[in-house]
Order: sequence, then structure tokens, then C-alpha cells
Amino acid sequence: MKKNIQWKLILVLAVLALSIFLAYPPSKIPLGLDLSGGMHLVLQVVTDDAINAETDNEILRLQEELKKENLTYERISKSADRVGRFTIQNFDVQRERELRDMLDESYKEWDYSVVGTEVVLNIKSNVAFYLRDQAVRQSEETIWNRVDELGLTEPTIQRQGGAGGDRIIVELPGVDNPERVKNILKTTALLEWKLVMGGPAPTEEALLEPHGGLVPEDMQVVKGDPKRTQGGYYLLSRVASVTGRDIRMARRSIDQWNSPAVSFTLDPESSRRFGKTTTDHRGENLAIVLDGRVQSAPVIEDRITTGSGIIRGGYTIEEAEDLALVLRAGAMPAEIKYLEERTIGPSLGADSIRKGLTSIIMALVLILVFMVFYYRLAGVNAVIALVFNVIILMGALAYFHASLTLPGIAGIILTIGMAVDANVLVFERIREELSQGKSVLSSIAAGFSRAFRTILDANVTTIIAAIFLFQFGTGPIRGFAVTLIIGITASMFTAIFVSRLIFDLSYSKKKKRDKLNI
Amino acid sequence: MQIFKKPNFSFMKYKYIALGFSAIIIIIGLLNIIFGKGLTQGIDFAGGTLVRIKLSEPMPVSDIRQALAIADLGTSKIQAVGKTQTEYMIRTMQATEDEQQQQDIEAHEIMGQKVVDVLRGEDEKAAIDSGKIDLNSIDEGGLSLLIATDFPDEAEDSARRIIVFRVANGIITSYEQIEQEIGISSDIVRSLQTKTILSRLAILSRESVGPQVGFDLRRKATQATVWALFGMLLYIGIRFKFAYGVAAILTLTHDILITIGIFSLTNREINLPVIAAILTIVGYSLNDTIVIFVRVRDNLKILRKKEFGELLDTSINQTLSRTIITSGTTFITVASLFFFGGEVLNDFAFTMMIGVIVGTYSSIYQSCSILFFWKKFFKPKKGMGK
Repeated sequence: MKKNIQWKLILVLAVLALSIFLAYPPSKIPLGLDLSGGMHLVLQVVTDDAINAETDNEILRLQEELKKENLTYERISKSADRVGRFTIQNFDVQRERELRDMLDESYKEWDYSVVGTEVVLNIKSNVAFYLRDQAVRQSEETIWNRVDELGLTEPTIQRQGGAGGDRIIVELPGVDNPERVKNILKTTALLEWKLVMGGPAPTEEALLEPHGGLVPEDMQVVKGDPKRTQGGYYLLSRVASVTGRDIRMARRSIDQWNSPAVSFTLDPESSRRFGKTTTDHRGENLAIVLDGRVQSAPVIEDRITTGSGIIRGGYTIEEAEDLALVLRAGAMPAEIKYLEERTIGPSLGADSIRKGLTSIIMALVLILVFMVFYYRLAGVNAVIALVFNVIILMGALAYFHASLTLPGIAGIILTIGMAVDANVLVFERIREELSQGKSVLSSIAAGFSRAFRTILDANVTTIIAAIFLFQFGTGPIRGFAVTLIIGITASMFTAIFVSRLIFDLSYSKKKKRDKLNI
Repeated sequence: MQIFKKPNFSFMKYKYIALGFSAIIIIIGLLNIIFGKGLTQGIDFAGGTLVRIKLSEPMPVSDIRQALAIADLGTSKIQAVGKTQTEYMIRTMQATEDEQQQQDIEAHEIMGQKVVDVLRGEDEKAAIDSGKIDLNSIDEGGLSLLIATDFPDEAEDSARRIIVFRVANGIITSYEQIEQEIGISSDIVRSLQTKTILSRLAILSRESVGPQVGFDLRRKATQATVWALFGMLLYIGIRFKFAYGVAAILTLTHDILITIGIFSLTNREINLPVIAAILTIVGYSLNDTIVIFVRVRDNLKILRKKEFGELLDTSINQTLSRTIITSGTTFITVASLFFFGGEVLNDFAFTMMIGVIVGTYSSIYQSCSILFFWKKFFKPKKGMGK
């Protein structure tokens, strides 16, 4: 045997062994959600919320500053149709200089313009960008925490579109209770303890009557959660004594009447604050507000200095469990909207795998029969190359950790059909050379070398199409593109290199064979 | 074995007939798209909810349609999977003209849920409300806890076996099945009977796509197709002469137009996998064209005396058997996908089948005709060779 051929043989066997090592057992190839069953979610973070929250904070801060400086104004109003804008109305024009100095000094993140007796403040675009980016990042982190708490394995959580993007893709294999997962991911879970200044009253008018129908500046109106309270409206202090962020630990427990509840422990700093609030306001009501709905408003019976307490509101075991979970995992900085949701049950996935395998095997067998029938011994050669191709494809999928999806299976099947194309081109060329009266060995050589460019050109175009498909495709379609790209690339190796080697091996030993079985 | 020993067909003779034939099919397709049935977009592009269900007992489509019509869901699209009358894909259509509601994915989801509720029926709803649990949707952990209250030792194992059976079959149809086919002890089955119900419907999959995502996917699909075509033009332009690039792109456009025309005529839905198939066709149908073009280029050097039309014919004939066989092998594989691959990939396989046939036909009949006309009208000074 020629040395050259020996090395080629070693290379081919090494590639084959490596592929088998990588892909065996087949469970090493991760399955996509459409085969394993699971959830695919596309979420959008309503980043306007983050800007709105910042605007609210800044308005509060400004009100205090203005008070301190004794600068008078009629009122400050937040723009209804544009986020990150608010207006100071009817300020004291005499003292415009002072107001401008103050804004220049401590509101550097805002652009302002003075029009008559109004000052319009707009958040700077780079600040807004930063806030939005932070909101998405925090949401992503919170989703991670919640998914961890749910104990789901191998989740993929990815932000789409880089720093400017507001979408998050969540992929959760093997979810068997999609509704619960969706609700848990979606909850904002902003928990606040606020002092009750009035109410509950059946209507907003009744609630505000003692205040002349207007909401006092340091207070706000909050609805009672219809599931937990009698409904109605509460007047609460605007500033929260403690929030969910201060919680160090939360778990499901039971209250003194044995109903499910959530008990929590605060961190030391907030424990002191909570202690002070409960001391100063003993006998008053303290409302527990979750996502803008009052859960309960118990009377502060005694001062609480231990920093631990309990939240109750007629929860079921599961609701209490989920509330504890989201409290541990932290609140979302903004509201979450679902843009896309796909849930594939495990039995459909199993069915797809079965059908996919059947069609792969059918395709292989049909191609095998055809090639051997049409090209005789050379057909066997092609079939060996094809089997190598499939093995290398599997090895590469395992190596790149590319998930096998249902369209990916379609990609494998197509690869089977397209890989033998290269063999066909070579064999037809060899036949052509033979018919021109060339010898077997030179026909083989000419067949391979002359068909090579054509095969390359033809495959490159398919790969170009697959690359664009990968670039613009999502999830399963990417699986298809990846399989096709790998499969066709591997086919160049198997149909040209391996197949040639097999010819060389079989025709170099028996010197000068004058008949080629093709 | 050889299909064509020494083929000598004069393809170029029929170029006008072929062009006319293609033109007619393309026009019929386009007319149908613009004035007729149009192109039905699947939920990937149009948005909406698609629920795939399995029933424990056969139910004809007409019954399902009737049940949905009563609940104001008459516009839903119902498609049977297989012939057993137990598996269906139901796509809800928004009946409301409220735009705000159409924008909202949750509205779609509610519609999907309504479909499921209607088919489950009142009695099941009452049973669930009274605290019974549906064995066909409970998860393994929950089932294990449920059994554990009476049979703590066997709970985990029994729950696992029941769920494995359910995954394999899609739905559990009766309590006898649990006892006889899964082999759960009759005591446990009796206890389950008091605590659970077996819903007559199991949800195999549920997909909701919001309008924003649909819009994005539509844009991406268009971009991918346009860029892929451009990539082809560039590659062929570099490897061959410009004329060949143009001929290749026109041939591809021809293939795409015929394929989507047939799609419109057969009333299939365009979804992401279909776009993937069309793009693959874009790449694949070029293979045959390239094989022929390479031969044309070679022959321009060897057969200098030959008239161009004749030369094209010779080239097509010389490569005819490989054109047919390469397409044939690919067709065999996509056909096996079409017949054995199941519902989800059916449209993909269908598109590929059409594409492979059209691609082969156009490689033989159209690509060379375009080269012929190019030479005739533009009379390139340096000839058609490189």
C-alpha cells in the first residue's frame, strides 16, 4: 500500500473514531424544545416603566428641594403622552435665576427649557437609554432567579438585540405546568408596606371626601385586591416603609388559623426601620401592597423589632408557595409582556422523534437501494461514504452542542439526499471518461478532479442559502440551517476524500484492474 | 445501469413552449394570490393561537366545528391529523374587530383556552370545579403527591409509570387502561377514580404568536430570501460571467414564483419551515444549473465552431443523467419525509418536493434559454465564455 494512502486511511479512521466518540451515546446531542417538549417564550420588558419610576422619584425629590429653597409653584405635572417628561407650572418668575441654578446643579440628567411661567423637563436620551438597559438587565436577572427557584433544568435565557433590545427569550425544556411558570415569570412582585391614611372606602370619592376630593401630595389611592380584601379603595402614604427589596428570606408557612401564608425576614437595616415605623404608628393600620393592590391592612398591634413577619390574605398553598418564590427571587423593575409563547408537550415531542427517525431510516434505505442498483459496486462505495457523513454530522452536532430540532431532522434527511449528489457527479464523470476509452485508474482520477469544482460551486450556493437562513432564522429553523451547513461540508469530505480513498484502496491492490464496476 | 445511454434531445427547440408553460403557471399562481385565495399565512407570520389536541374518542370534524360554532368560535380553522379522528390542530381566528384586542397576545390565548374548554364540556368543568384533578394534564410531581396520601410507598413508581404511558400515548382514555395496560394495582386505581377525572381531551401543544413577533418574522423571512438571492448572484457572478449570474437568478425567481403559486393553489399555510424550504430550494436548485453552466463553459472552449443554441443542447444532454439522478436522490429523501415525517414537517417536505421538481425542470429548460436570449439580445463582444 502506498504511504500516501496509508496516511489518508489513518486520517479518515481518526475522524470517524472522533465523531463516534463525540456522538456516543446519542443522548449527548441535546434535543431542541420541539423534540424534548418544553416552553419557548419571548418576553418584552416594558422599559417605559423604568423611566416612569425614575420620573416619579425625581418629581418627589424636586418637590422637596423646591420646598427647602422656598421656591413657589402651582404644581408639577407628569406628561401623559411622553415618558420622561414633566412640567413645573406657574413658578415664581422673579426667581427664575435661582431655579435655573438649582436645576443646573442637581438635575444634570434632565434637559429643561423655560417657557413663560412653565419649566419643561425632559430626561436626557443617554440617561433614558441607560435606565432602559438596566431595566432589561435586571429583568433578565430576576427571570434567572425565578427559573432557578422553580428548579427547572437547563434553561436558556437570552436577551435579544444587544444593549438596545428590550426582548428576552426564555427556553425551558421539560416544563409540565406551563400556566404556573408563565404566571410566575410575569408577576412584577413589587411588595411594599405602606401606612394606611384612610379607607377602605367603597368609592374613590368617598375616600377623598375628608381631603376635599383631592389626593394629598404625600399620599396615593390604592385599590384593594378583590381576591384578598373586600375590595374598595385605600388612601396610603406615598413612601413605603419597607419594600420587597429589603426581604432577606421568604417562605411558605401558615398563620395562627392554619391557613397558608408567607413568612418573611428583613435584613438588619430594614428591621430597624420597620421597628421604628411600628413603634411610631402603633395602633394604626399598615397595608401590604403587592403590584399595586392591597393584600391586607392589619393593625400594628405591637412594635416589631425582630424584622420578621407574616403576609396573609386567604392564599391557597400553591399561591403562597409562588408568592414566597417571587419574593425570594426579587421584583421585576418593569412590567413584562408576552410576545410569543410556544409550549410543546412531551408526547408530541416523542412522536416527532419517532416519525423523524422513521423518515431518516426510510431515506437511507431508499438511497442505499437506488445507489447500489444504479452504480453497482461504486454505489456501495457511495453508501459507505454516506454513512460516514451521517456519523460525522452527529459528531459535529454533539461537539458544537447544537440542539437537534425537528427541522434539524429534516436537515439530516436533506443532507442524505444531497450528499450522494457529489458521488453522482463524480461517478457520472468517471463513466464519461471510461466511455472515451480511458483506463480505469485515470478515469477515476479524472472523474474526481474534474467534478471537484462543480461540486464545490454547487455546495457553496446551498451553504450560502443556509447561512442567511441561520442569520435571520429563529430556534428550530437555526437547527435546520446548522445541520444543513455541517452536513454539506461533511459531504465534501466524505463524497470526495473518503470515496476516493475507497476507490484507491480497492484498485491499488489488484494492480491494473481493467474493469470498473460502475 | 444507465437511464440515458446517449441522450440527444433538442431542448432549445421547445424553449418558447417551456417559457409559455412557465409563464402560464406563474400567472395563474399570481392571479390566485392577488385576486383569488391569496397566500394563507400561518401563525408564525399572521399571529394567533394554534392548539393541537388529542381526543380520547373519535369525533368527526363536523362535530368539532359545530361545538365551536355554538361558542362563537366558528371561524376557527380545524385540521385533522391522521385518519383516526382523534387528533386535531385548531387555529383560532379573531372574530372581533377591536384592534386593541387583536394586538394582544393574551386575547389570542384566551381564544385558545376557550376552544379547549368548549370541547371539554360542562361536565368536566363541573368536576374540576368540585375539586377533582384531571389525570390527563397533571404533572408527575403532583400525581405522586396525590397517590401518596393513601399509598405512600407506591406513589413515586406508580406516578412515573402512568406519566410514561401518557407521554407515549398522548392521552389516557380509561381507568381500565391504567389498571390493565400500565399494571397499576386496582386499589390505587379505585382511589384515583374518586379524586380524579380523565379529560376527554389532552393538549399536545399550544402556540401563540403576537402580532409584533409575526411582523418581525415576516420581515426576517423576506430579508433572508432577498439576501440569499443576492448572495447567489454575487457568487455566480464571481465564478462565472455576469450573464450566468443573471440567468441563475431569473431561474431561481421562476422556481420561487411557481412554488408559492402552487402553495396558494393548494391552500397550504406559509410558516417558518416553508420559508426554510424555499431558501433551501434557492440554494439547491442552483446545483443543477451550475452543473449545466460548467459544461456550457467547458464546451465553449472545445466546440468553438458550434452554433450557441446547439452547444447549449449538447451541454444539457451531456449532463442530463446527472441532473436527473441528483434531483432524484434528493426527491426520494424529501418524499420519505413527506410520507413518514409527520404533520409538523409536512408543509416543509411538500415545498421541497415541488421545489426539487420545478428546480430540475427550470435548470434544464429555463436557465439555458436565458443564456440563449442574453447572447441574442446583448451580443457580448467577448462571447459567452470566460
